[in-house]
Amino acid sequence: MADVKHAEVTYEDIEEICEEFSNREGAVVQILQKVQEKYGYVPADALEFVGEVLEIPKSKMYGVLTFYSQFYQEPRGKFVLKVCVGTACHVRGAGLLVDKIKEELHIEPGENTEDMLFTLEPVACLGSCALAPMAMVQGTAYGKLSADKMVSLIRQFEEEAEKEEEPV
Amino acid sequence: MAKVTVNGIEVEVDPSYTILKAAEKAGISIPTFCYHPRMDPAGSCRICAVELEDSKRVVMSCVTPVADGMRVLTESPKIHDARKTNLELLLLHHPLDCPVCDCGGECPLQNMSFAYGATESRFESHRNDEAEDLKSDVLVFNANRCILCGKCVRICDEIQDVHAIGFINRGFDTIIGPPLGKKLDCEFCGDCLEVCPTGAITDHFVRYKFRPWQLEQHQTTCTYCASGCQMQVETENESIVRVTSKEGLGPNEGSICVVGRFGFNHVQTPQRFDTPYMRVEHRLVPSSWDEVLPELASRLNAIRRKGTDRVAGLLSSRVSLEDAYAFQTFFRRVLRSNMIDTGARYGFMNAAIPLVEATGTLRPLVDHEDLLKAKVILLVGADPVAESNITGLFLKRAARKNRAKLYVVDSEAITLSTRASDHIRIHPGGESLFVGVLSEEISSRGNLSAEWLTRKEELFKNWNVDPGVFQRLVNDLKSAETGIVVTGRKMFRNENASRSMINMMRLIGSLGWIEKEGCGILPIPETANDLGVLMMGATHEWLPGLLDARNESSRKQWENAWGTSLSYGPGGGLEQILQGIEEGRINALITIGENPIGHFPPGSRVREILGKLELIVALDMFQNELVDMAHFVLPASSSFERAGHFVSIEGFVQKSVSTMAHWGESLPDWEILEKISYAMGNPMGFDSSEKLMAEIVRFLPDLSPSTRNGEHFVGGTGDIHLVKPLDSCGFANASDVKGVGGLSLLKASGSTPHKANRESVSSRFRSWTEMSRPIMNATSGIPGEGEFIFSMSKSLFHSGKMTLQDPNLKKIQPEGKLRINRQTARKRKIKKGEKITLTSAHGRCSFVVEPSPMVSEFELVFPEHFADAQVLALFPPEMAFSPMTGTPTTHRIRVSLSTETIS
Repeated sequence: MADVKHAEVTYEDIEEICEEFSNREGAVVQILQKVQEKYGYVPADALEFVGEVLEIPKSKMYGVLTFYSQFYQEPRGKFVLKVCVGTACHVRGAGLLVDKIKEELHIEPGENTEDMLFTLEPVACLGSCALAPMAMVQGTAYGKLSADKMVSLIRQFEEEAEKEEEPV
Repeated sequence: MAKVTVNGIEVEVDPSYTILKAAEKAGISIPTFCYHPRMDPAGSCRICAVELEDSKRVVMSCVTPVADGMRVLTESPKIHDARKTNLELLLLHHPLDCPVCDCGGECPLQNMSFAYGATESRFESHRNDEAEDLKSDVLVFNANRCILCGKCVRICDEIQDVHAIGFINRGFDTIIGPPLGKKLDCEFCGDCLEVCPTGAITDHFVRYKFRPWQLEQHQTTCTYCASGCQMQVETENESIVRVTSKEGLGPNEGSICVVGRFGFNHVQTPQRFDTPYMRVEHRLVPSSWDEVLPELASRLNAIRRKGTDRVAGLLSSRVSLEDAYAFQTFFRRVLRSNMIDTGARYGFMNAAIPLVEATGTLRPLVDHEDLLKAKVILLVGADPVAESNITGLFLKRAARKNRAKLYVVDSEAITLSTRASDHIRIHPGGESLFVGVLSEEISSRGNLSAEWLTRKEELFKNWNVDPGVFQRLVNDLKSAETGIVVTGRKMFRNENASRSMINMMRLIGSLGWIEKEGCGILPIPETANDLGVLMMGATHEWLPGLLDARNESSRKQWENAWGTSLSYGPGGGLEQILQGIEEGRINALITIGENPIGHFPPGSRVREILGKLELIVALDMFQNELVDMAHFVLPASSSFERAGHFVSIEGFVQKSVSTMAHWGESLPDWEILEKISYAMGNPMGFDSSEKLMAEIVRFLPDLSPSTRNGEHFVGGTGDIHLVKPLDSCGFANASDVKGVGGLSLLKASGSTPHKANRESVSSRFRSWTEMSRPIMNATSGIPGEGEFIFSMSKSLFHSGKMTLQDPNLKKIQPEGKLRINRQTARKRKIKKGEKITLTSAHGRCSFVVEPSPMVSEFELVFPEHFADAQVLALFPPEMAFSPMTGTPTTHRIRVSLSTETIS
């Protein structure tokens, strides 16, 4: 995996986020979620700054961060491919989806593509077994997938990203 | 009270007790992993399970409170089963690498598995295979051996208040370590290492180098700072392998700091002098005692015959009572000289002289237990965590758990200021003005004279003191039920230190804290035995027992005691000694662990002055600038090799024992002096350290050892009832104290003899003349635009200059870095590790910088231990001494900063 560029975090930005939650110690999880929303992950600096604002030791902040699998410590791709590998999806060929993505994008589960466009993240269950096998990308569910459909989905996202990059 | 039956034994306990504590009272021990007497129970390891006889329920005894009529079984078949299963589960993950584990042989997990016969598991084992965390230079974390009892995390949070490590990840993947995968960055107290029940935490210094059962344990007193920690020095074949502590033991209750735990290796390095040296034709050549002593004796005798006060002596204040007593005896009785001084002159003397004048004693008014009971604590000019670590721990607990109102007055943020209710971040140099105004405000009951009102306004206007916070402090002090002022090194090493000390005494006097139990002032001595060497009369001011050395009747008393006449001269301290040498009135100098050259700037002529001496005798362990000039270098034993007594900050007289053989030909200081006196034909007659101590105690009975070894100190930590009655600690009863010629520092009274006797202190205090007149302080003004104040602090990782020789501590802090305010550094584009140059009116010096959020924007702070001639060159070459206390007065200097480096 290529070296990724970490986000630049300022103390002021973090202060602002904490202020939204009245700097409450109890809101630490929501604050971290907000931080992740902003940067795509929780940068180490941000974690330290949140600790400083809320007066929570760094060691405790890191404990919270690593306890929840929802938090990421590394930057993630623009499109996180959450592929369900729960029981129902598994029986209906989720493994093939994962393999196809690995082959197509040359990444292992948990990894990002070099252009930081995609991240592959197999997840336990997304609760839509009727649509099995399914995946979720940027909050949208895509059901009744096949390996081929997966590839065309990836193409679609790539085009989308290209369009965004083009000057208006 | 609740009646509880444990295994058929009935005990009556407080209803707040847990089953575990009730069982302890019944004399039954229950196995534990995660329980720790000084911390809140966690109930996570499940090994302390017990059965309730009536409900047949299994509960965790460390977290379950007792109930009246409760019947508990601690060793029923059901419990045996539960514990065995628990162990089987713990061992599923454990690597069982006991043969190569440092903990093997003293491992509670090993012992417990053996006791419960958890030899085979009914479950499929799944060994963890996490790589060891070797990033730290001090501690190693082995997650595979960890049973996640969490004691290390909790002791770091609850006792040390450092929060360096925590739980990482979740479920099976949980490990313990520092955050963000970084190198451990903490105070390195090693308490986590101490409490770890397995080999999950080990240290780099002794890893794989010992088997616990082959070590010999010596319980002794740490001789670095004045905390008086009890620790176990563990040796194998007469060399020190490691230092450990025992839960609950000593005033430190089982915690020791980084210097105490890891700073033992310098005493066994080849750099140490192992034989006497004599200067022959400008070169120091190795010699022997038999050769050195007659030669030295005849030269000393020749000088002695010239008259009184011809030989001067400088004594380190890190030596034992015995050494200090022998030192002053040797000078006053044998050499007829009162030209003696101690290392306390560089700082603590500024507190000691006002204290003795006002209260007649150096015993403290308050101890650590009183800190826990205090409602208001004013901490001014001290960083207790670095200066007297255990005092720091108690202050942390007072502020955090007991919610004492802690006011910190300091230009720097210190560990304790984060726990303070208010941190008055005064500009550097303003502490003495602050103390002066505060003292006058309280003493005059708010009716300040016009002059003082101007000073008060100055304080608010120029020194960054908020009037509101100041008023809050005044109100809190006045209304406090119990209160304590804590002060230390930063205050003692202020140009106005002794005046500030007098002002602080006035302050507590006006608050009525002299008479009131639990209230008072706690000055932190700078070294392990500042108090002891002064009580022994190792300075020119005092005879043993703090009697005035120039007073005819006190001299008579000691003449009677010793059965000899004393004909020493008027004498003098460091200032008079240097003057006397310069003027040719002093011809010889004997130093014990002291090197005056290292304390003064290179331009100060101190080297030139000392060069005028006919004879320099240095008793030391390592080479230094003075040794290079000495005619005789005599190898001294370290405190790990010799027995002796030390007076702690709390006034406990505790014994440090011999833990290893004397290094080479080295001898204890007292014995070297005894041998010289014998060779001079005037023996002092001390033939063992025991006899020496016996003489001290015979004349000064309340210096009887007050070690409370082997017992728990009652306090916030719990009510483990092992406290011995005080009589058995060897205290003389007040009525028995007659001594010789009525000598005694202070008569020991009933309950708390380590502290000062309030009655005699109060009566002395009433006649203290300084009480009635306010003292004005001169202030040096705040730094101008682009200027900084350069000051020196004590590092947590070193003690004096000696520990710079310690391989372990050198690994922890290898070099001195100049700490600069983080924002200032950013503004000036100075990065960590870069070199900058400071220029004062007197010199220039380069430093490696370390930006820190703790330092104020006006200040640059450097650890004193690393202050060599180049650093000292920043200070003025003139040697200035305080007229009141004779202490050197330059400690801070204005500097400007540039990013050029000196070529």
